[in-house]
Formats: sequence, C-alpha cells, structure tokens
Amino acid sequence: MRVLLVEDEQRLAENIVAALRETGLAVDHAADGEAGSLLAEQGVYDAIVLDLMLPGKSGQRVLQDLRRRKLQTPVLILTAQESKESIVNLLNAGADDYLSKPFDLGELLARIKALIRRAKGASTPVLAVSDLELNTVQQTVRRRGQFLDLSPTEYRILEYLIHRPRAVVSQQELLEHLYDFDWEHHSNVIEAHISNLRRKLNVAGTEPLIETLRHRGYRLREEAGSQ
Amino acid sequence: MKGSASISITRRLVITVLILELLSAVALIAAITVHEWSVQLEIFDASLVATAESLLGAVQDTEDEGDNVMLDMRGVRVAKDAVFRVEDERGKILGSAGEPPSLETAASAAPLFRNTAVSGRDYRFLVLNGTRIVDPGKANGGVRHSITIVYGTPLRHVWHEVREAVRFFAIATAFLLGITAVVMAWLVRKGLSPVHELAREAERISPGDWQFHAPVSAKETAELRPLAAALEAALARLRRSFEQQKRFTSDAAHELKTDVAIVKSSLQLLSMRKRTLDEYSQGLALSLEDITRLESTVEKMLTLARLEQPVESCNSSTASKSCSLRDVIADAVHQSEPFAQLKSIEVAVEINANTDVRLPIDSRDALLLCSNILLNALQHSPDGATVRIAVTTDEGIARLTVRDQGEGISDDDRDHVFEPFYRGDPSRSRKSGGTGLGLSICKAICERAGGSIEIASHVGGGALVTATLPAKTALSDPTLSASLKAE
Repeated sequence: MRVLLVEDEQRLAENIVAALRETGLAVDHAADGEAGSLLAEQGVYDAIVLDLMLPGKSGQRVLQDLRRRKLQTPVLILTAQESKESIVNLLNAGADDYLSKPFDLGELLARIKALIRRAKGASTPVLAVSDLELNTVQQTVRRRGQFLDLSPTEYRILEYLIHRPRAVVSQQELLEHLYDFDWEHHSNVIEAHISNLRRKLNVAGTEPLIETLRHRGYRLREEAGSQ
Repeated sequence: MKGSASISITRRLVITVLILELLSAVALIAAITVHEWSVQLEIFDASLVATAESLLGAVQDTEDEGDNVMLDMRGVRVAKDAVFRVEDERGKILGSAGEPPSLETAASAAPLFRNTAVSGRDYRFLVLNGTRIVDPGKANGGVRHSITIVYGTPLRHVWHEVREAVRFFAIATAFLLGITAVVMAWLVRKGLSPVHELAREAERISPGDWQFHAPVSAKETAELRPLAAALEAALARLRRSFEQQKRFTSDAAHELKTDVAIVKSSLQLLSMRKRTLDEYSQGLALSLEDITRLESTVEKMLTLARLEQPVESCNSSTASKSCSLRDVIADAVHQSEPFAQLKSIEVAVEINANTDVRLPIDSRDALLLCSNILLNALQHSPDGATVRIAVTTDEGIARLTVRDQGEGISDDDRDHVFEPFYRGDPSRSRKSGGTGLGLSICKAICERAGGSIEIASHVGGGALVTATLPAKTALSDPTLSASLKAE
C-alpha cells in the first residue's frame, strides 16, 4: 500500500514517513500544496494524509482539486484548527477522516490503515480468502491455521492482492502501490517476490493461490483450496 | 431612566423650565398686584372725590336770616358703608354718617387722602375743603361758607379687586405650568429619541457581533454626532484589536500544537518498536532538538506578551534603563556571525565611532531588537550578499537602518509584516526557521520605548528596516565607554 503525505513541517513529516514505513507502507512526501496536488492526482496512492496549512496551495484546495478530478483516494486531514465549522467543511469537501494536532502517531497509523481497508471494501482488519487469513494489525498470515513466515515485501504483495480478490493485478500496479519514489524498484523484483510468496503459500495437494497470467499480471484465486 | 438615583435629562429640563416659568409668573403677579393696586386706588380715589364733591354740591342755603347752610342729601348717592361728615367753618356739622375720625384739615384746597381704621375696618378718607357762597347775586357778593367734607369708604373693595386680579393670574399661571410640563416632557422625550435609538443600536453589540452603525437620527443630531462618531470609531478600534487578539491566539495555538505534535511524534516513533542503542540516542537527540524549538516558540511568545504589557507597570525602572546602541549592535553582529558566515554574507556597520547613542531601553531588549532585525535581513539575503547597518541621529532621535539585498517587500506584506506569526512568503513557511514573531517583538520593543519601526523596499533593491527611537547623543567619553564595556 502506498501513502502520500503532504505536510510542510519538515520534522513532523520525517516522523510520520518513518512511522508509516515501519508499518510496511510505501510513503511519498510532498512539502507543499502544489507538489502534493501533482502527486495526488497521479492516482497511484491508496491513501493521502493532508495537512491543511500548506505553503503554495492550501490543503483544502488540494482536496477540492483531487475530488474534482474524480479521484476517490481516501484522504485523512491533519489539522491544528479546532473549529467545528472547518471540520464540517472539510468532510463535506470530500475528506474521509481527520486528526487534530498534536495527534497520536499510533492513532494516525490505525486510521490510515482503516481508510485503506474501507476503500478496498473490507471493514475488518482480518481479511480472508478461502483458507487464507491475513491480519493487517498484527501483520500475520495463516493458512489452514498455520502461521506463515513472510518477508515484509511478500506480506505487502499478499495484502494488496487479498484486497482485490479475483482481479488481475499488473506488475505496474503492484510497483505503483508497493513502492515509493525512494525505493529502487524493477519489475523483476516483483517477479522474484511473487515466486517466493507462491512457494511459501503452497500447501501440498492444492492449486497455487496466486495465478500468473502472462503479460497481464497476477490473480488471487478465491476458490483455491476447495478440496 | 433606571433607578431613583439616576439623573434624568428630561426631568431636569422640565423642572428647570417649570421653575423659570414659575419665577417669572411670581414676578409678573407681583408686578400686577402693584399695578392693580395703584389703578384700583386711583379709581377709588376718583370716586371718593366725586362723592365728596357731590356732597359739597349738596350743601344748600337754608334760606334763613343767618345765611346758614344745610346739607340736602337728596340726589346724593353715598356708598353703603360710607362714613362722612360735612361741617362749616364754625364747626357746625351739617350732616354725617357713621363716626368719621377727626382728621387734621389741610390748609390748602387740595384734596387730602388718609387711611384710617374705623371700628376695625380699613377706610380711606378724603378731606375736601370747599367753599359755598350763599346768595352770590347780592351786592356784597354773598356769604362765603368754608365747608370741610370728610368722606371715607372701606378699602375692602380695592383689596377685593386686587385679590381677584391676582387670583385670575395665579389660576392662569398654574394652568399654563401644567400644559408646559406636559408639552415639555413630550417634546424633550421626542427630542431625545435619537439617544434611545443610539442606545438600542449599541445594545446589540456583543462579542460575536461587533457591527455598529450609528442610527441616522443620531448622526443628524448635532449634539449626538460626536458621540455617535466616537462610539463607531471606538468600536471599530476594539473590533480590530479583538480580531487581532483572536488571530494571535489561533496562530499561537497552531504554532504550539505543531511544535508539540513534532515532539510527540518523535517520541512515539522512537517507542514504536525495540530499537538499537544508536537509534535511541539519535532519536533522543532529535527529540531534544524538537523540544528546544518548542521552548523557543514559547519563549518568544512570552517575550512578546511581556513587551506588550503597559509600560506604566515598570515605569519606575525605566529611568535607570539605558544602553549604548553601538555596543548593542556590536553584540548583535557578533551573535549572528555564524549564520552570516554560513551564507557568506558580509555585515557592514556604518556608525560614527565618536558618537555614542544611548537608548532608554533595557540592554537585553535592545539586543533583541537589533539581532532580530539583523537576523531577518540575513534570512532574506541571498548568499554572498551584504547587509548594511547604519545609525543616524537627529535631535534626540536615533534612526537604526538595516538594509539587505534580498527581494525587497511587497506592499501587501508591508502592512502585515509586523503582525505576529505573519510570514511574507508562504512557500518559505516554517522552514526559514522563524516563528514569525521576530519582527512583532521588534515592533513591541520600539513602541514600548516610544519609537516606531517600519519596513520598505529600497530603491536600490532589497528591504530597508528603519527603527526610530528616542535617544541621547553624547560625544563618547573614553573612560565612560570603557567602564560600560567592563560591565
């Protein structure tokens, strides 16, 4: 999952970026409204954390422009303004959630994850496809009750795929949503991770959970494991 | 209108007018009484004379030997209560009514009036000396009889007339007073209605709604116009200062919340999971930096709050406050040296070495002023530029000018740059290091000392900050400046 943080306060941004990355999210950071707007409108983010008081272009306008372009990316607003009016205005303008500064970093992470989950159509932190169970809070994966030991990247790929069961997910899409600009990425890296993931998920006597569709991408099979 | 102790203009005006009216009425009635008295007395006297003369005319020849006279009362009308006596030169009483007092007879022929009491009543008497000639056709010219008539009637009638007149006027006056009171009260209340309208409009003011427009009626009333204008102006000033305060509070809250958010997130990030010793020490160092920043924001806010306190509270110590501008500038330049070197900016100080300008400001505040202006100039200067500091003096006024070679200042920013938390260029934002309080603090220091500060774009490019301060100029005494430096 890839998150965009638009925050002009350098130190705060550094901390949020570090925290988000530690929970396994890819994060891009924009330090002003215009850069934030440009990045947000690429449509590759699974969630956007937006500060309100931004140089160049206010958070409010970034949000309005995003919604005007019919981008449905969930947006969480960070605000130091207490007034109820501005919060109501923001929610009406298309914000999905807000947090007042000074906020709790853990709460921010939980809210971002919840936003991502809900935007993908899941309302609980535990996602399940057939006999596969993924806990997004503990970041654990179980198949038939057995905990699987996945690397962070493998976990993230699986998390992304499990959010989109039966859909064909291209390598490009995976790249866009799993890595931020700071990371070195190539499509063959994805292939390597997928192959590892497939091996770890594999249980004797079942069809592989992740299908590879040549030149198209990958698909998580829901009916897999039906004995 | 509220409470018994309050003063009512309406009541006062009405009472004043009524008292004046009453006084003039009393004076008028007094004048009327005197006048009426004299008029009535004249009439009274005339009727006395007339009756007395008709009595004289009633003295007739008795047609006897002694050529005596008698009083023939036929055809003579005498008032009901009249008292009279008619006698001849020999003292023979020809006729009388009642008991007229014996009054000295006048030597002259002119009628003589006398007021006397007869049996407890006030009478006015006329003593008339007349002559009757019996048989005037005879050769000897007839017999002359000197007749003295004393005729009096009660004065009661005059009194009655005067009293009637006074009563009429008194009743008329009372009636007029009543009408005046009612009409006055109505007129005054009507005339004061703009005051009530003004009050009603003023009553609507609340902390949430500062809109105040004096009603037209108040503006059109000459007496109320200054009050309405003063109210409008005062409220506008209050509103501005209130809004400024509100903005300051909201900006300060924003600033503090952001700083606290940084500290909090730094610590929470550190505690998200177990970390290595290196990571912990690095995180702690960063957190300390964040807290230092929060501390500096708080400190600046408190400084500003202190400087904006009324001067009176510490007036006692201002007399002793004094510092040398030259020394303060030297300190400020020294303080900002690392920053200037970082941007390779040259700081040029143009100040007459022989002139020592002493400012009536606490040396810490003066240093704060100089270093804030200097830091602002350094922040807005491109690398390798020159910042020029100059001091000029003019009749007890010192002008400190600091000129940078930056991009100058727009007219928009010029009006707001001294407002707390105002940052000219939003893209520079907090990264430039300032909290946006530096120039506000400068302004507060200058204004506290009775001076002023302004910023303008220099014609030759860059911004020019000018602080104008009251100062004492003295040719520096080397021993004095040495001792000051030793402090």
